[in-house]
Amino acid sequence: MSENTFMGVPRDKIDWAPVIDYGKCNYCMDCVKFCPHQVFEVRENEEKRLIVKNPNNCVVFCRACSKTCGLDALSFPNKSDTTKRIKEIRKEMEGSE
Amino acid sequence: MSKEYAILPCNGLDKLAGYVTREIALRLAEETGSEIICPTFYRVSDARYNKVASEKPLLVIDGCGTRCAGKLAAEKGLKITEKINVTDESKKFGIKIGSGLRMGEDEFKLAEMIASDLLREDAIPPAGQDSKSAVIMPESLEYEIYQKDKFIFRLPKAGFYFNENDCWAYVSGNKARIGVTDYVQKSLSDIMFFTPPEVGSEIEQFGEAGSIESGKAVFEIICPVSGVVTAVNEKLLDYPEYINDNPYEQGWIAELELTNFESDKEMLLQFEDYFKIMKKKVDEYHV
Repeated sequence: MSENTFMGVPRDKIDWAPVIDYGKCNYCMDCVKFCPHQVFEVRENEEKRLIVKNPNNCVVFCRACSKTCGLDALSFPNKSDTTKRIKEIRKEMEGSE
Repeated sequence: MSKEYAILPCNGLDKLAGYVTREIALRLAEETGSEIICPTFYRVSDARYNKVASEKPLLVIDGCGTRCAGKLAAEKGLKITEKINVTDESKKFGIKIGSGLRMGEDEFKLAEMIASDLLREDAIPPAGQDSKSAVIMPESLEYEIYQKDKFIFRLPKAGFYFNENDCWAYVSGNKARIGVTDYVQKSLSDIMFFTPPEVGSEIEQFGEAGSIESGKAVFEIICPVSGVVTAVNEKLLDYPEYINDNPYEQGWIAELELTNFESDKEMLLQFEDYFKIMKKKVDEYHV
């Protein structure tokens, strides 16, 4: 079992992380300051000064950073699709044991 | 909203949503005789507004997720009676707020709709009013504790299910009561506001069952079970601090009639496993 799991599923198999809308983001970095999991990274000298560096650090189902975003520039995958996918992976894992 | 409120809009100038908060505040004040608190003035002078803010029910109107007005209310130690966020409301009404800084037709229309919605609220009893709590909880709970520095994290030892998002469910028959764990309330610190899920609404497992908010952050309550909301803890509307006092007892969030618990259960943890996860979170992230 991988070290980082969610509900018994290896974290890297679950697609759950914020997506930055660069058309809206004004690089206020409130999300960076808020997230304790180092999901984001600031890139001082690049055009995109903020990136999602560690998507697998993001807590599955947490959308708290998007609620700190005044510009509504962060979005997340659909929760019920994600739940469905986790259940499928769990079934596959049971089958292969 | 027929009675007089103290209205605290963010009145932000950097985004159009801030202008909309001002417009809503003006409309409500004209209709109800409520008093508007100027956030800029209030920041430098307590004397001007402390009386009205403490005597009248407080309505906080934020423009966006930065929540400047809500945070100001937290700083001043005010008790919030009602709170809206214009960005959320604009999604609800399907009216997009422009990207410029001038109020246009759409923004005035949105302000009018939000204001009328608030004015109408008093006439209709809130949905939660018919809700009746039905889950019988044990008279006293036994807790395991994990201490880090001066912080003590409690966790009930028996009868509770947890998800990895720090929410619990206590099941009795075909109903469940849900809430958050000590990890959530300690991380948020003083909880100032509770947005309940709607009674009668159906929530999927891991769907949103309302939210709680402190000066620090908004926490989306991630429902451990799927079902239909049958009751919400209405006391939290007046006393959200009950969640800080004890999130497993007087600080419970809602009750649901279960729709698929056998399947939900596969995705839930019991005491031993969640206690390990909570300890790890406390060690790694708690500040």
